[in-house]
Amino acid sequence: MPKVVSIHSYRGGTGKSNFTANLATAVAMQGHRVAIVDTDLPSPGIHNLFGLEPEQTGKTLNSYLWSESSIEDAAYDIGDSLGIGEPGKLFLVPSSVKADDIARILKDGYDVRLMNDGFRNLVKALQLDFLFIDTHPGLSKETFLSIAISHVLILILRPDKQDYQGTAVTMDVARQLNVRKMLLAINKVHSKLNPDALKQKVEETYREPVAGIFPLSEDVVQLASEGVFCVQFPDHPVSQEFIKVAQRISEA
Amino acid sequence: MSDIGDLQSLTSSITAVTSPFRRYLSELHEKYKVINDGAVADYIPELALAKPEWFGICVGTSEGQVFEVGDCDQLFTIQSISKAFVFGLALEDHGREYVNSKVSVEPTGEAFNSIVLDEVTNRPYNPMVNAGAIATADLIKGDNGTQRLKRMLEMFKRYTGREHDINVPVFLSEKATGYRNRAMAYLMLNFGMVSEKIDETLDLYFQQCSVLVNARDLAMLSATLANGGVNPVTQERALDERYVQDVISVMLTCGMYDGSGAWAYRVGMPAKSGVGGGITAIAPGKLGIGTFSPLLDAKGNSVRGIKVCEDLSRDFGLHLFNVATPEHNLQQWIDGDASLDDW
Ligand SMILES: Nc1ncnc2c1ncn2[C@@H]1O[C@H](COP(=O)(O)OP(=O)(O)O)[C@@H](O)[C@H]1O
Ligand SMILES: [Mg+2]
Repeated sequence: MPKVVSIHSYRGGTGKSNFTANLATAVAMQGHRVAIVDTDLPSPGIHNLFGLEPEQTGKTLNSYLWSESSIEDAAYDIGDSLGIGEPGKLFLVPSSVKADDIARILKDGYDVRLMNDGFRNLVKALQLDFLFIDTHPGLSKETFLSIAISHVLILILRPDKQDYQGTAVTMDVARQLNVRKMLLAINKVHSKLNPDALKQKVEETYREPVAGIFPLSEDVVQLASEGVFCVQFPDHPVSQEFIKVAQRISEA
Repeated sequence: MSDIGDLQSLTSSITAVTSPFRRYLSELHEKYKVINDGAVADYIPELALAKPEWFGICVGTSEGQVFEVGDCDQLFTIQSISKAFVFGLALEDHGREYVNSKVSVEPTGEAFNSIVLDEVTNRPYNPMVNAGAIATADLIKGDNGTQRLKRMLEMFKRYTGREHDINVPVFLSEKATGYRNRAMAYLMLNFGMVSEKIDETLDLYFQQCSVLVNARDLAMLSATLANGGVNPVTQERALDERYVQDVISVMLTCGMYDGSGAWAYRVGMPAKSGVGGGITAIAPGKLGIGTFSPLLDAKGNSVRGIKVCEDLSRDFGLHLFNVATPEHNLQQWIDGDASLDDW
């Protein structure tokens, strides 16, 4: 059965898009059919990691939500450029970066019912094994939807008081929405922190498993969202950690 | 998200989107939107403006969940659906004995606009035919026409949880061309069945038919009755609990015009339809259905609305007298569980 994986964090800049791109790529490389939907309509960005330029994406998630196209017509096959071989597949449904389109989203929001139907249509049309949802930070009706339909919810947090508190709130919501499985990922961990102690503390606090711990990495900063890290540096410890989490998702 | 109440309403609105029951309703919508049988009512020009493709389905449960598919915000005039609810208000104003002395509760095989009174008592047959509805409107209390209209609109608000207006062009058209209804009113005046403030009462009757609603309002009207007269979302009481059974039983026997007998047999849900294209149907204790599609059959009932109610009744065992295990378990489909998680 197809699985929906949502990647969320309470605050922005936490690493959602970077995680989504890397985890989805790693899962596709294991031979699965995967798509990513960028539901961060107010501040889209994940297309950059795949080198997809706005000029190449005539149709976007916005076109679907405004009934101008089907959702599968806004899905771009990005697997080949990453060297994902058969039977693996990777698609991206990007959001529009046009200022007018973003303004319209900020003003009117969008119909969560259509979005729900769109996810389901996409899974059917592309015969997906995995649907990854990159989200807008914080809690809103729109993120509630992604949380509610996910089979696996990945919550990313940094070792930071603001993230700790926000994650607790998000988890309350996720439990209320009967999320089936939650995984925590700690990102941008300073080298002076002891990862094992951190993991233990976070697991005790939230009573959910920590699937991965990622250091604050100069190399990730240097790539500057211009590529998928685990494709560019497959042997890097950060990539190894992504692959570990991807394994856990595909076995979930 | 200031408090837990908001969080709960937000989560329940999301569950209403993701629930398998909504998916079921989406499929019904897909299945029947292609049916173009029937015709839009055109006895006044305003009704003929309705678009044949308009189609909304909404279900409200007695627990307060609301499931919507299609055109559930599109407003249209409530028409005859108002009759059932105004009957409830008349009962609150005067009690059962008095109301029954003015309007009988016998189904007629006659069409909704027939000019027939009971030959012995001179009462109109029931509150759902025009004559009975006019006699019922006559009973609505208030010092003047405005006050009576206000009381009626406030009643609708208690059921739906939202302010209502009337469609003035529809009201004026009905008023200008309602010779038959006017004739009926005078016939009843002749028999002393209605009071002498005939013009005011006819205005009120034409106004009650011109109240603007959408499919969600229709679902809330019946969900409130299904929930014993209390709006399941706002928790406000809309109808005295003593009269809930009166309104529902008249809907069961007389609600679908001269198609009521077959409806009670096949669908088994007390319901009321209107020529605006609406149907409201009740599964007592469980849920209320509101459908909107302006294509009407020869009896004046919405063609797609009937099909939706038939399917829901059959698949979820909503017929009043059903004892067989239905194909789908309602609670399971509303709550959703792993076995229904078909991606
Ligand atoms: N582990 C990390 N170490 C250093 N920089 C990181 C790390 N993870 C993400 N970043 C950087 O942080 C920024 C925000 O990441 P992004 O994935 O866009 O966050 P979000 O989608 O949550 O807003 C990007 O510039 C990204 O390259
Ligand atoms: Mg992002």
